[in-house]
Amino acid sequence: MKNNRIGLILVGSSLAVIALVVTLLLQRQQTEHAEQVRAQGLGMVRSLAALPASVLVPAKGAPGVLDSILAYRDNPDFAYAAVSAADGRSLAEVASAGALVPPAAPLALTGFAERAVPAGQNGRAIREFHGPLASAGEKTQVRIGYFEPRTPFNMKDLPFYALIALAMFLLVPLIYLVIKREMAPLAALGEQLRVAAGQTNTNQALALASADADADVRGLAHKLNRYLDQASTRIRELEQESVASMASGRLLEYGSNKMQAVLQCLPDGLLVLDPAGEVTFATGKIEPLLGVSVADVLSQPVEAWCRDPELRAMLARFKSAGLDTRSQMTIEFNPSGVPGKRLWATAQALLGHSMAYGTLVVLRDATREHLARQAGNDFVAHVAHELKSPLNVIGMYGEMLADVGEDDPAVRVEAINVIQDEVERMNSLVNNLLNVSKLEMGSMRPERHRVKLDDLLRDAWQQARTRAEAKGIRLDLQVSRELAAVSVDKDMFRIALNNLLNNAIKYNQAGGNVVLAADEADLDVVIAVRDSGIGMSPEDTARVTEKFYRVRESGDEQRGGHGLGLYLTNQIVELHHGRLTIESELGHGSVFSIHLKKMPALVDGGQVL
Amino acid sequence: MKKTILLVDDEPHVIRVLRLMLEREGYQVVSANDGAEALDKMAAARPDVMVSDIQMAGMDGRELCRTTRARYPDEPFPIFVMTSMTASGEREWVRELAHVDFLEKPLSPRQLVARLAAHFAHAATQPENTHAA
Repeated sequence: MKNNRIGLILVGSSLAVIALVVTLLLQRQQTEHAEQVRAQGLGMVRSLAALPASVLVPAKGAPGVLDSILAYRDNPDFAYAAVSAADGRSLAEVASAGALVPPAAPLALTGFAERAVPAGQNGRAIREFHGPLASAGEKTQVRIGYFEPRTPFNMKDLPFYALIALAMFLLVPLIYLVIKREMAPLAALGEQLRVAAGQTNTNQALALASADADADVRGLAHKLNRYLDQASTRIRELEQESVASMASGRLLEYGSNKMQAVLQCLPDGLLVLDPAGEVTFATGKIEPLLGVSVADVLSQPVEAWCRDPELRAMLARFKSAGLDTRSQMTIEFNPSGVPGKRLWATAQALLGHSMAYGTLVVLRDATREHLARQAGNDFVAHVAHELKSPLNVIGMYGEMLADVGEDDPAVRVEAINVIQDEVERMNSLVNNLLNVSKLEMGSMRPERHRVKLDDLLRDAWQQARTRAEAKGIRLDLQVSRELAAVSVDKDMFRIALNNLLNNAIKYNQAGGNVVLAADEADLDVVIAVRDSGIGMSPEDTARVTEKFYRVRESGDEQRGGHGLGLYLTNQIVELHHGRLTIESELGHGSVFSIHLKKMPALVDGGQVL
Repeated sequence: MKKTILLVDDEPHVIRVLRLMLEREGYQVVSANDGAEALDKMAAARPDVMVSDIQMAGMDGRELCRTTRARYPDEPFPIFVMTSMTASGEREWVRELAHVDFLEKPLSPRQLVARLAAHFAHAATQPENTHAA
């Protein structure tokens, strides 16, 4: 449409140009023609005027010059030639066919002149040149008339004009093509803009406007402006979106960092494997657990870094396709990279859209649990052994009593004594076991009160004295009445004291003695149990408070220890923020001392019991 | 000739009762408090049967058995090991050693006497295989 319009404009404007050119040419031709006629006419009039009148106006019947002019005229527009007298009377005249000699006009002052004679009835307009005849005085004039051209257009020039018009007209398609070619990118641009405008969907008006205005460059410019407006709007929108997406990106990054930090802080080691079995994520905790660094593990297949056959076997199971992907699997193993560790490894397939996209492996340090379990097993085994030992002795003595006792009174007495001792040993073991259990479960909490130590010590001494006397051991009490008060749990403290006194009696020598003493130092109160017993080696002294540690006994005499008494005593003293010290010399006896902090007066505010 | 029994236990009461009972049955009894002492006594007395506890400080019953077998490969005299551990896993170690048997704790002296009597009666009928348990 746009191009058609351009074509029409081109055709119209070219026609106008052709018309203008032709008009100018015609005007020029007419002017030239008129000049030519004028030059010819005036020249002829001057030359005729110079001739004598007799030549011009010959006698009747004689041929004159005028006749010669008519006969030899070379101009087809020649109308007439005449010699007129002053009164207008024609002295001689010749005329072309169809031409009438008009009446003469009076001579102009300038002499030679011209005049236009308008066309009369059925006649033609004539241009007349005239001038005075020199030989016949002022009043006689020579006149020569030429027909004015019938039409301004000269038919013989038609092919020339046609050629010019054709040439110019032929330029039109050329120009049209050139313009069209130059317009093509613009048209394409316009089309693109229109499509772009349509695509944005935000400005339907532009699309409508462009439909109307896309025919010309103004429309294009308009469209371009609109498009630029729209583009700037769109750019602003995009900038806003960019800011928003940057913000959300930051949020995501923040979230991701947070998650990473959380995962890194977990006490468990985490590994994520892709379906091909390569590690894509690992937390730093795997290093202390597996003994391999994160850098060695990342992007590596399991075989490259895993030295533990159990873990490899489990991960291989998760890699293989046959496994039910919903299953979870846990193994327990000792990692070869970290000796002494015990690990739980749990593998879980990561599922998305019913297909596994990797495996999550959680590694947990189970060393403590393992050791605790082992310690529990050891404890049970130990207790069973400790209980079975006296039972064994009781059973054997019982059998011997049955078999031999009737015959041998000495055996009878011995058996009864041993059985009594072993029963006592089992009883003490069971009591201490219960106390140790309570202590370790945390259910034994010291209820500390302000206690007068001398009463407590005196009670313990009274209780132990009968046992000591039965074994022939002297038990002394050396306690000053003015002892500072201490803050202790009376019942627990009694257990500790009894254990120390029992040991002092048990590991004593016949005729030996035990002293229960209490002294006050600057900051603490020291309760000492001193015996003249068998004593201990330095190695035994250092280890005697360990759970189930028993000093090896030599000789035939059985003391009946079970390895819990001193452990329990030490634990109780520590619960009271005190400390147990041991001095011992093999063969000379031992001193067990409990150091308790003195209680400042009225700090506790508790009642003195 | 009196058969010699080596008793090894860190519990003096056990030694005391078993010694009394075995001596009444006419055995000669040698006793030791631990593995090291047992090896010393073994070198001097050459027992016909050894009865040992398994849980002992220092050298325990297992080690004593292994050392004994290694030291006297030509005299595989029977060894009775007294144990309170009834789990089968605790007894695996004796598979590598010949003529080692278990005595269950709590120990019955009568049972030990009967086992020894059976052993020596069996050995008497098969002189070429003196030390079969």
